[in-house]
Amino acid sequence: MSRISLSGICIPAHHAVSRRAFLSDGAMRAASAVTVAGCFASDMGQIHALRSEEVAGELRRQDKRVILLWLAGGASQFETWDPKPGAKTGGPFRAIQTNATGVSISELLPELAQRMQHTAIIRSLNTKIADHGGGADLMETGRLKDPGILYPDLGAVVARELGRLESRVPDYVSLYTSTEGRRKGTSGFLGARYAPMFLSESMIPPNIARLETVSEIDHHDRAALRDAVGRRFAASRRSHTVDSQNSAYQRVNGLMASAELFDITQEPTEVQARYGPTQFGHQCLIARRLIEAGVPFVKVARAWWDSHGQNFETHQELCADLDHSMSVLLDDLEQRGLLKNTLVITLGEFGRTPQINSSLGRDHFASAWSCSLSGLGIRGGVAYGKTDPEGHTVVEGEASAADLFATILSALKIDHKHEYTVGARPVPLADFGSKPIAEVLS
Amino acid sequence: MDENNPAASTEPPAGTPPATGTPPATTLPNLVKVQKTFSLPGIGFCLATASDKLLIYTGLSDFSIHRANLSAERIEPSTLGANGHTSYVMGLVRCGETLVSGSYDCSLIWWNANSGEIIRRVADAHGRWIRMLAVSPDETRIASVADDMQTKLWDAATGQCLATWGDYELKTPHGFPSMLYAAAFSADGKWLATGDRTGRVLVRDATNGQLAATIETPVMYTWDPTARRHSIGGIRSLAFSSDSSQLAVGGMGKVGNIDHLEGVSRIEVFNWQIGIRCFEIEDSKHKGLVEALQFSPDNAYLVAAGGDNSGFVSVWNMADGTLLTQDNAPMHVHDFELSTDGRSLIAVGHQQGSVIDLFGVPA
Repeated sequence: MSRISLSGICIPAHHAVSRRAFLSDGAMRAASAVTVAGCFASDMGQIHALRSEEVAGELRRQDKRVILLWLAGGASQFETWDPKPGAKTGGPFRAIQTNATGVSISELLPELAQRMQHTAIIRSLNTKIADHGGGADLMETGRLKDPGILYPDLGAVVARELGRLESRVPDYVSLYTSTEGRRKGTSGFLGARYAPMFLSESMIPPNIARLETVSEIDHHDRAALRDAVGRRFAASRRSHTVDSQNSAYQRVNGLMASAELFDITQEPTEVQARYGPTQFGHQCLIARRLIEAGVPFVKVARAWWDSHGQNFETHQELCADLDHSMSVLLDDLEQRGLLKNTLVITLGEFGRTPQINSSLGRDHFASAWSCSLSGLGIRGGVAYGKTDPEGHTVVEGEASAADLFATILSALKIDHKHEYTVGARPVPLADFGSKPIAEVLS
Repeated sequence: MDENNPAASTEPPAGTPPATGTPPATTLPNLVKVQKTFSLPGIGFCLATASDKLLIYTGLSDFSIHRANLSAERIEPSTLGANGHTSYVMGLVRCGETLVSGSYDCSLIWWNANSGEIIRRVADAHGRWIRMLAVSPDETRIASVADDMQTKLWDAATGQCLATWGDYELKTPHGFPSMLYAAAFSADGKWLATGDRTGRVLVRDATNGQLAATIETPVMYTWDPTARRHSIGGIRSLAFSSDSSQLAVGGMGKVGNIDHLEGVSRIEVFNWQIGIRCFEIEDSKHKGLVEALQFSPDNAYLVAAGGDNSGFVSVWNMADGTLLTQDNAPMHVHDFELSTDGRSLIAVGHQQGSVIDLFGVPA
């Protein structure tokens, strides 16, 4: 695999410019961080400057998007995607036939059952790590934690691969308003450029509002003046540095303007009503607004599924929320023509035990559990993999976290084997040895 | 000889609840003591007993009803009938020689209690999961409650639905599906109390459906708006005193971490007809849900049982609301019945059943 190394970070070869082109640029030659012998830059801004001219490729033109519905705390596969009615471990709920032949899911998801044409279920995850922190580390990054390197999470990788430099909206937005298990997400070695815009306390991003002391007119006038001066300056001094600075200003202005994207009252009342009264429903609507505006990756965390006690009641509440909110989201994306370009994922850090404890709860379990993929790049109506009749083990189609990541990247038509290089270390987008699950890909 | 056949029973061994009570030597329980336990092939959610209290029936998580003879040397529950429910059996009552069961499968089934033959099946008795059944003292009417938030009254003999009441909100104040857990008839059969997830108790005249009282017990319901954004709790048990004047409501106190049943077990006792709460009892020793409640025959004490990952039995003095005695149960208790004289109880719960004496220390 060819790759171009950069100090600290490297980009896949197909994204890179030639060394000759790179060296021909005076401004870049002058950049202090640039060195030779293969370590071309230590500053992420310069990497993006390189990309801005040369590598705005097909991927970006396709406007692909991802919405990750993060089921924090670990949803039960028995009460969602892999019901076992009648088994000792199966719990009280029935399986219901979906609109996909031969695929049944829990009766707690009746609306999603009628939308299975969009969705593939993976029932054979064996990810082994069944503590919240370790499980989340694994399922957010698709690989085991390594003390020597800080891996980026899925959102950062997708932002890196699908984000547009010229975009006026964030590349990665993460909403996690519950406090339990709250995790910000990380861009790891990809650097702060791909860190999520993280919303926890409020659904409106903080610190992007125009200062009250600056009027709306002044704000626009200042931006117009800066643009005019900047254009005149750039006309005679073509350089990546100037481009980058202009881009940064556009981006800041874009982020300030994007505050409206988080305001669901901008939606017609009827649309707001469809998404329902819950916070998760509201956040799914925000996700749709962000996706529609061009944000490539949105994570909506729905906490907290950790049902050590009263598993069935907990899932009656949370599945109702997931079922309705996700169904409306899929419908809305489809009606707007966005679903064909948007991958919707449900995933958490693990599933839940087959055994039902004395509190009528289920505990942590990572040996045989499920997730779902809907929309872009997915063969709908498919249930991949199989667990044994009581759900203790995977008996068919075992998939690791890395396999899941390879599958997600493949659905996005991103080569999961492409490598970043961190120092001298190659880091493939999905971990070494991973294999996409072809059966769920369209 | 089939030890679980009631015809095979002779004198009950020590520790089994007496069929007819002689007045207790002491009037108040003084020690909770487990006399015997037996295994169940699943979680026992509900219990019905034959009139002699020696033959018991329990509805289980394996979708079956099991029968056990407590007078047997070795208690070995056996399956009653076949082709019954297709989900957890949550409610079970006896009306003469007939058992009626209700399930998460939304159906009610009438069974011959001796042969196990199915007499009648009402497939769609409710639109959602049935949580509990209660039978009137004269055994002529059965009440069912379910997560369709309806209370239904059934003719025990014919299976006809006599009334449907839908006074509860379908959703909690936070937009999630509510649940209707508990029902109890008063001893005179006139009143029917029901309790939901949010802590609302409705008492109605069971003869005409007219609402007689609404009681709010909001502490029984914990909504976590910050950390986990869902709820836990609800009213899980109700019991009238034998003079119908008092109504005990069981559940769990406020919970910090709603991942677990870590709230203290909680009982509120009301003189419901005049709208006074007599006692507010929180058990500092035992956590979890109060799954079942029953007043003693003389109303002198109230027995509560339930649990979290373990189980408990507690006995409360109804003169002043103080604790008389309590101890761990062998399992999380989902249902129990007092013996006729109130000196012992039969309990079923997580994978086990148990006979528990309440007067462990002679007076």
